[in-house]
Amino acid sequence: MADLRIELAGIKSPNPFWLASAPPTNTGYQVQRAFEAGWGGAVWKTLGDPIINTSSRFAAVHFNGQRVAGFNNIELITDRPLEVNLKEIYETKKRFPDHAVVASLMVEPKREKWHEIVKRVEDVGVDGLELNFGCPHGMAERGMGAASGQQPDLVEAQTYWVKEAATTPVIVKLTPNITDITVVARHAVKGGADAISMINTINSLAGVDIHTWNTIPHVGGQGAHGGYCGPAVKPIALSMVAECARDRGVGVPISGIGGISTWQDVVEFMLMGATGIQVCTAVMHHGFRIVEEMIDGLNNYLDDKGLASVTELTGKSVPKYSNWGDLDLNYKVVARINQDNCINCNKCHIACEDASHQCIDMLTNAQGKAVLQVREEDCVGCNLCSIVCPADGAIDMIALDNGAAPLTWNQRQQLIGNLNHTYSAAEVM
Amino acid sequence: MSAFTEFDQERREINELLEQGYRIVNIEEDLDGARVKFMRSGPVAAVQVLQLLTADARKHVTTVLPGIQRTPEEAVESSV
Repeated sequence: MADLRIELAGIKSPNPFWLASAPPTNTGYQVQRAFEAGWGGAVWKTLGDPIINTSSRFAAVHFNGQRVAGFNNIELITDRPLEVNLKEIYETKKRFPDHAVVASLMVEPKREKWHEIVKRVEDVGVDGLELNFGCPHGMAERGMGAASGQQPDLVEAQTYWVKEAATTPVIVKLTPNITDITVVARHAVKGGADAISMINTINSLAGVDIHTWNTIPHVGGQGAHGGYCGPAVKPIALSMVAECARDRGVGVPISGIGGISTWQDVVEFMLMGATGIQVCTAVMHHGFRIVEEMIDGLNNYLDDKGLASVTELTGKSVPKYSNWGDLDLNYKVVARINQDNCINCNKCHIACEDASHQCIDMLTNAQGKAVLQVREEDCVGCNLCSIVCPADGAIDMIALDNGAAPLTWNQRQQLIGNLNHTYSAAEVM
Repeated sequence: MSAFTEFDQERREINELLEQGYRIVNIEEDLDGARVKFMRSGPVAAVQVLQLLTADARKHVTTVLPGIQRTPEEAVESSV
């Protein structure tokens, strides 16, 4: 059995599975039950001046029978006094000394406010701090959360203030509601961040009720934008983790967050650079015990791969993540239809005809049976047919060796530039 | 006409010029594709121009530049 222990910027945890700062980490009762179920760490629901929430605060997007493909919330940070939370954190840490308990914090962007909360929280024995610069709703209207996180200089300054007072590792949680997350990540590091976590939720409106014309959710007929999370956001989160992981100006450990629901998701985030991960929506959907399957699955995967420690996964796919201009233009794949598995539904033909390059023919074979066949010379290898195909193993994308040397767009443009430069010089002479 | 047929036609025109001793001296790209100038030296210099429309031909023409059959890095260096 592989070693699942991780250490994120000095914060030790028996496994990489942490609960994200959210409703499941609202109380000591919940966090302690989560630890009993197997979670290795928890980021306590954000502490700050206690707020007042609205009633009716969650909504979900269901897609084609899949419940909670995406999840939307307008809930704010903790509504409980700091002292109540601190007492429960102390009790939780006392019961689970080997588990990671990290306090998520959010206060006004004032130095003395940060110093005060850092000191009070660290006094009860937390393992680390996570600065919430990501919450996009409610708190942002008051100049906190994402409103802070969208200003790189403010992220840097507030991180610096926290580091002035902190004795435990400081994780800066980043908002995805920004053009380039690496800019903010670099400023967090300049401010002294020991690690970064991402992503917080994405600005969203879950829907509009077409019968009542109310927003979903609505509060007495009025709505406001919320934060989107759940499986639908995973590709966005994974991309942002990867961008930060490959940015040499960042260079600190990453706690990956965003739509993680299975052990396979965990592996993907770690391969793309995360040292550990955090989960919220999947727990809200299925409960704490999903971690049992995640632990088993990850253990089996590591054993199958012959890896002794989960830490060996971190960053292994980062070198494979590049810029478009560095991709080989001469790499060629084509679709091949396996007639044994094809059910002749024609989905591939329709997709290719209507949305791609019209290279899948509907033919009739010698036995009079309808068959679908790819004209490989016209296939651009877009993958669309294999994506829409409902039959397992019916379409394979095959890499062809066309004999051409690898050539990227950037190399091509440099070659043309050099050629034209030589030509211009010769013309002058 | 299939995309491959269009490309194959342009590729043949490129290759025929190269077989006749022409070499590519200039490639200008704009909204209408790539304008490729071929030149053959001799007592009287000859010039031919191809307007390439297909993406595959615009890619192909750079793969036949001198040196590209080596690694791209070597090709870039050799053309400097």
